[in-house]
Amino acid sequence: MMPKISVKNLSMAYDNYVIMRNLSFDVQQGEIFLVIGQSGCGKSTLLKYLLGLKQVGYQKIFYDGQDINSMINIPSFYGKKIGVLYQSGALWSSMTLAENVALPLETYTPLNRKEIEEIVTLKLSLVGLKGFENFYPSQISGGMQKRAGLARAMALDPEILFFDEPSAGLDSVSAKRLDDLILELKESLRITVVIVTHDLASIFAIGTRAIFLDVESKTITATGTPHELLVSSNDKNVMAFLSRGTKIA
Amino acid sequence: MSCFLREKFFENMTGIAELKVENESIAIISIAGTWSIYEKHPHAEKFIETILSKPSIQRVDLKFVNLKSWDSVLINFLVHILNFCESKNLTVNIDDVPIGIRKLIELSKTSPIRSESPTSQKESTVLEFIGSVGLFLFFSLRIFLGFIGKLWVEIISFIGGKVKIRSREFAIVLQEVGVKALPIVFLISFLVGLIIAFISILQLSQFGANIYVANLVGISMMREMGCIMTGIIMSGRTGAAFAATIGTMIVNDEVDALQTAGFSIINFLVLPRVIALTLMMPLLCIFSSFMGILGGLCAAISTTDLTIVRYCTQMANSIHLNDLFVGIIKSCFFGFLVAAIGCQKGLQCKRSAEDVGLITTTAVVTSITAIVIMDAIFAIVFSFLGI
Repeated sequence: MMPKISVKNLSMAYDNYVIMRNLSFDVQQGEIFLVIGQSGCGKSTLLKYLLGLKQVGYQKIFYDGQDINSMINIPSFYGKKIGVLYQSGALWSSMTLAENVALPLETYTPLNRKEIEEIVTLKLSLVGLKGFENFYPSQISGGMQKRAGLARAMALDPEILFFDEPSAGLDSVSAKRLDDLILELKESLRITVVIVTHDLASIFAIGTRAIFLDVESKTITATGTPHELLVSSNDKNVMAFLSRGTKIA
Repeated sequence: MSCFLREKFFENMTGIAELKVENESIAIISIAGTWSIYEKHPHAEKFIETILSKPSIQRVDLKFVNLKSWDSVLINFLVHILNFCESKNLTVNIDDVPIGIRKLIELSKTSPIRSESPTSQKESTVLEFIGSVGLFLFFSLRIFLGFIGKLWVEIISFIGGKVKIRSREFAIVLQEVGVKALPIVFLISFLVGLIIAFISILQLSQFGANIYVANLVGISMMREMGCIMTGIIMSGRTGAAFAATIGTMIVNDEVDALQTAGFSIINFLVLPRVIALTLMMPLLCIFSSFMGILGGLCAAISTTDLTIVRYCTQMANSIHLNDLFVGIIKSCFFGFLVAAIGCQKGLQCKRSAEDVGLITTTAVVTSITAIVIMDAIFAIVFSFLGI
């Protein structure tokens, strides 16, 4: 079966500083794939490469077997193919929550205004924000902004959802609710989820498979389910990273 | 046994360290008292110098006697001593070091050191400095021209109806750059007209030619001051706001979110702003010119025997439609430049609050410089064309 995302020998650099070398991994359809590692290892940078926000050479990143470079100029790639929830929510501050969710629908679909309003209400309901349609991002809490960001990311029912540190800045109850929501979305919509995180509770609660980016060796040092990584990895950094999770899991 | 060094030079020093040498080969550093970052405390350098002055010393013992309290200064002191001993291959006996202090020292040593530095700065010579400034200007111009090129492609697509901008957003920008700028444009232009008139009257009254104040104010406001003053006001007000807004959107990931939602940054953020300011600037320029003329009128009738009718008649006879068109054409260009520079600088913002301030300042300075250069070019072109 063709992987949903395939990364082959990708090296990442910032200015002239090499962050990671020769990253290769596949993300399969319908799995919750985790990119984990210590702070500063390049998780968020990898996400930028996967999203096409950083220029990448040919034959490095593939979506459904197609090179990302041939896809990023097609408007439907963003929105229809992928949706992203940023660490801060990244809602457009000059628009209400409803307008934030409606914008992709207005741009990419032939739906009329009434249908768009209904879908916006539905998406906001899914993330527990029904009744907040006319609020501006500055009028709601950080956790709510994040949920609204998720509603926007799901606006066009994308095939792949990317999450950048979804639980960052959330209390444990809100983080658990977001984890449950991700699981429900994955089950009900059968979407593929890629999460960049270092939150151990989330890693063990929702992760199907994970890769560990090692800041010292600058490459992937472990791949498998979170429990496999914990039990069978011999890498000291992987063990040190995940061992705290045994108390949480 | 001899006491080599007792580091308590200050009356209020609460941390104490003493160095004694036993059998010519063992240095014993005894540490006592209260070590605090808020109090005077002994420094490791003097102990290191003392140990260095006795080459026979082979071992350093750290003794803790009546240590009351400690904080980072003691850790720093001990790390210095330990690093020195390690570099000189001296044996260190740390058996007496309290467990808490020992753990902190170990922790500071286990922290990984980044071997590669992202940027290295070295002092440059004058020639290198001039070269780097030249290269910076060259690349900045190249980037700006590339940006202008992309922008014009989008403007042509917009005129051809291939690209649409959100009407609500556009209306908000129009209001921001137009109506809301009227009070400041009025104030500055009125005062500029007033100042020009006052200065002119001072000179013209010597020849009994007060009537010509209307010519001077009218022509200068219509041709030059109206559009330049509006351009400068818009640089500081609107251009800075464009740069800061877009810069903050970058810091908050909003621009990334736009890109990953499939929107063109230029269409969404730049085009409405550039079109709005290019459309509004001529109107503001006309408003500014007339407010300057009004300021001149106030100065003229209050300090000379001119009447409103004589001032206005003289003004109508002296200025031509050409003068108004010159101001309008220039203001269109200035509006385009201010908006394009503001947006381009905003998009160059990195991900820090400090950078937002920096790009905002740069946007204002660059815009004003560009306006002055452009005005000089216009002056040459119009003089060739005889306009």
